[in-house]
Amino acid sequence: MAKAPDDTRLELLQGTLDMLILRTLQWGPRHGHGIGQSIRQQSDELLRVETGSLYPALHRLEKRGWLKSKWATSEANQRAKYYELTATGKAQLAREQDRWSQLVAAIGRIMNPASREE
Amino acid sequence: MRPDERELDDELRGHLALSINERIERGEDPATARRAALAELGYLPAARESMRRVWYSRWFDAAMALTQDIRVGLRSLLRARGLSAAVIATLALGIGANAAIFSVVRGVLLRPLVNRGEDRLVYIRQSAPGIGADNMTFSVPEIEDLKSRASTIGAFGDFSTFGFTLIGLGEPRVVKAGLVSGTFFDVMGLQPALGRLLTPADDGPGAEGAAVLTHRFWSTVLGGDPTVVGRTIRLDSRTATIVGVLEPSVPYPADTEIVANVVTSPHHLDALMVTGRTHRMTELFGRLAPGATLEAARAELAAAHAAIVAAHPEAYQAAREVRLEVTRLRDQIATPARAILLMLLVTSAVVFFIACANVANLILARSVRREGELAVRAALGASRGALRRTLLAESLLLCGTGAVLGVVLAGPLVAIVARFASRFSVRALEVTLDGTVVWVGAGLALVAAVLLPFVPRLPEMGGPATGVPNAALRITPGTSRRLRAFAMAQVACSFVLLSAAGALLATLLALQARDSGVDTRHVLALDAPLPVEAFGPKAIGFYEEAIRRIGTLPGVERVAAGNVVPWRDIGTFGPFSFAAEGHAPAPDEEPPHALFRNVTPGFFAALGVPIVAGRDFTEDDRAGREPVAIVSQSIVARMFPDGHVLNRRVWWTDPVFGSQPRRIVGVAADVNDQQIGAAPSFVIYHPFRQVPFAGRIFVRTAGDPYVLVPTVTRIVRDLAPDQPVERAATLEDVRAEVLAPERVNAAVVAGFAVVALLVAVVGVAGVLAFSVSARTRELGVRMALGSTPRELLVGVLREGAGIVLPGVILGAASGYALAGVASSYVDGLQLPGPMPILGAAGVLIAAAVVASLMPAARAAHVDVVQALRTE
Repeated sequence: MAKAPDDTRLELLQGTLDMLILRTLQWGPRHGHGIGQSIRQQSDELLRVETGSLYPALHRLEKRGWLKSKWATSEANQRAKYYELTATGKAQLAREQDRWSQLVAAIGRIMNPASREE
Repeated sequence: MRPDERELDDELRGHLALSINERIERGEDPATARRAALAELGYLPAARESMRRVWYSRWFDAAMALTQDIRVGLRSLLRARGLSAAVIATLALGIGANAAIFSVVRGVLLRPLVNRGEDRLVYIRQSAPGIGADNMTFSVPEIEDLKSRASTIGAFGDFSTFGFTLIGLGEPRVVKAGLVSGTFFDVMGLQPALGRLLTPADDGPGAEGAAVLTHRFWSTVLGGDPTVVGRTIRLDSRTATIVGVLEPSVPYPADTEIVANVVTSPHHLDALMVTGRTHRMTELFGRLAPGATLEAARAELAAAHAAIVAAHPEAYQAAREVRLEVTRLRDQIATPARAILLMLLVTSAVVFFIACANVANLILARSVRREGELAVRAALGASRGALRRTLLAESLLLCGTGAVLGVVLAGPLVAIVARFASRFSVRALEVTLDGTVVWVGAGLALVAAVLLPFVPRLPEMGGPATGVPNAALRITPGTSRRLRAFAMAQVACSFVLLSAAGALLATLLALQARDSGVDTRHVLALDAPLPVEAFGPKAIGFYEEAIRRIGTLPGVERVAAGNVVPWRDIGTFGPFSFAAEGHAPAPDEEPPHALFRNVTPGFFAALGVPIVAGRDFTEDDRAGREPVAIVSQSIVARMFPDGHVLNRRVWWTDPVFGSQPRRIVGVAADVNDQQIGAAPSFVIYHPFRQVPFAGRIFVRTAGDPYVLVPTVTRIVRDLAPDQPVERAATLEDVRAEVLAPERVNAAVVAGFAVVALLVAVVGVAGVLAFSVSARTRELGVRMALGSTPRELLVGVLREGAGIVLPGVILGAASGYALAGVASSYVDGLQLPGPMPILGAAGVLIAAAVVASLMPAARAAHVDVVQALRTE
């Protein structure tokens, strides 16, 4: 299948989608479409989440107890499933954010050794 | 919370709607917006599937797939209805028969008795192989001697069977009672279900009469009425109080209705019973003393018995070889049934094995025909697992249905087999269908279901798909040989079973046709016993008046009284030893024994037994006149070869009857009223007026005897209101009832034989059908080359004969070998005569022809063009 000739688009790193979803929900409940849009806008259109990855991820997080869901009507008068962080989900977000910072720092040190000497 | 399938769809649909809305808001026109949103969404089923995967495990998916396969399998099996029915019927019969027999075997041989400490409970038996007496029972002096010499038996319990007329519980009735000493229930380890049981306080001539009801009598006849405890009943002339109801337990040694203490029977208190060493009528049980083993008890009691025999040589003639045996009660009850049940179990296992072989055969044939389909599926990417799963789904369906039907079938089969086995062990009476049957059935079906998918060969994976394009049949010589061998083995097994069934049937027919010497059809027999005390002038008055009144009824030809209903009153009144003038037994020869019968004048005419010499009794043969007797023809033949028997004298030598000589005034034709089809036994008849006790009334009628029953009952009751009148039946029906076990016997084996025959027919038909359809092309070519349909038909029939004839020969050979082995375990086993064997062979060959007809007809109607196009 031909990909859109959108070279600026970035592939999501393995395992980061869950963290991004949790982060997006930090400000309150959203439906799946909203979560996808939010990730796209906040990444300045650099990150795009495929529907085929987003929804299984949402269900996976719900099954693990980090999210809970309920059906509600959206502002556009459309019935949609809204996802919301649970208490364990918030704790998990904090853990993942820590891990992510460490990972970024570690990779940064490898990729930019000069900055380390400064 | 697991979302259901629809919720997943709803969520994705909602996403799509939101996405379209947003694009429209951004200014796109609806059509473009919809197209773009759909493109963005990607392939929906894949998304949905990966959402599902989050929630459902792999096992669930496998189960879903199997459900799907089962649905497909159901459709494909419905297309092959004949085959499915054959497989299901075969399995149902195999599983049903095995489950039934297994549950009877378990109930009779394996389950412990309810008696407390039943493994320390022993049965002590005195036998006399010298005169063919398996169980002589014991006399009271013998029991006292054993008690005083035994230390390995902690306590003895004794039991004798006695008949009473019971008054006070509904209609007057004759009951079979066990008379026991106070230790009996404690030794047997039984508990009361209600009230109390008998204890040593109930022993002795001064005790109050006390009776315990058996659970079966209490629950079936008295409807489980708890108020019977404490009620007073009359047993003949004595009274007794019902003190309790016994818990449900195996009725051994006799299936009695009540158990009473000894004081209820005057007979048990008189000198003959207490001091007569040869007056044996008591069974003996014991409980091993603490620490004593069965072997120790055997050794000790054998030594004690030898000492008793040595001390009283007059009571134990050497020729009788009197001996004593000690067995565990449980084994004693089960032993007679063990050999026959194990043989049944083996037979049913063989039937099940044939059934499985047959099912495997059918499925093999079917899957060879499906090789093309499987190859196509493999080429399209189906894994080996998926193919096996398809086969598993089908075999689960077949075996599951077969198992359900088999369990349903097992219910009635258990009843039949239990009735059959109850001839050998009373425990079979309590066998019912239980949960085990279901488990065994399910287990067998599961084993079959899991093994069957591995019978057919799967197409090679990853190899060049050579067989695929034309999806044609490829039948290997190996497959064909295996099919044929299976079918032949089935024919052989069913031949053996059929011959056995034929032999049993022949025996039954011969017994039914045997002339019993009695006119059975128009003679009604009734039990109307007077209590023992009434014997004497009162009895003469009672029966003679009853005979006179019944004789005046319309349709009645003759009326008589006697003391034994042929074939029904077994083991009563003899045989006792006697002596006859002019006959000197050789030294060391056992004295002759005869059955003791009392009859009124006209008895012989009523039953249609001819007087072959001398005269019948008359009213003048009464007390105070010369004592007379009539003897049976066999006595004359064996003891008076010269034929001069009239006016000689006979007398009983058994102490019960004194030794008054009687002049022989007549000879009656032989009747064996104890066993149908056996050699005639010696009988001595006494005139009722001289030996005044009877108990049975015989009415010979011109029309239907049964219409007279209410009138006859009323006449007897008018004479004596408390008089039981029971078990009215024609002698023909009595005889039929007695032959029932033989019929059940034949029916059980015939049942197996029919199952085996059906299985074999299905097997032969299946193999031939497979062979024909596998050779459709060959047959087409032959027809194209000028063969007539007739030739093809004959060819298939010949192929069928090629399976059946070797099968029959194999069956005959293995049957004779098997009979040789079995005869060393089972007494009296006889090889069937030529008729049953020829009959079995005929039935099998006829069945094979029928089985071949359908495939043969198909072969004869092969469409040439169609056949040639199949490749």
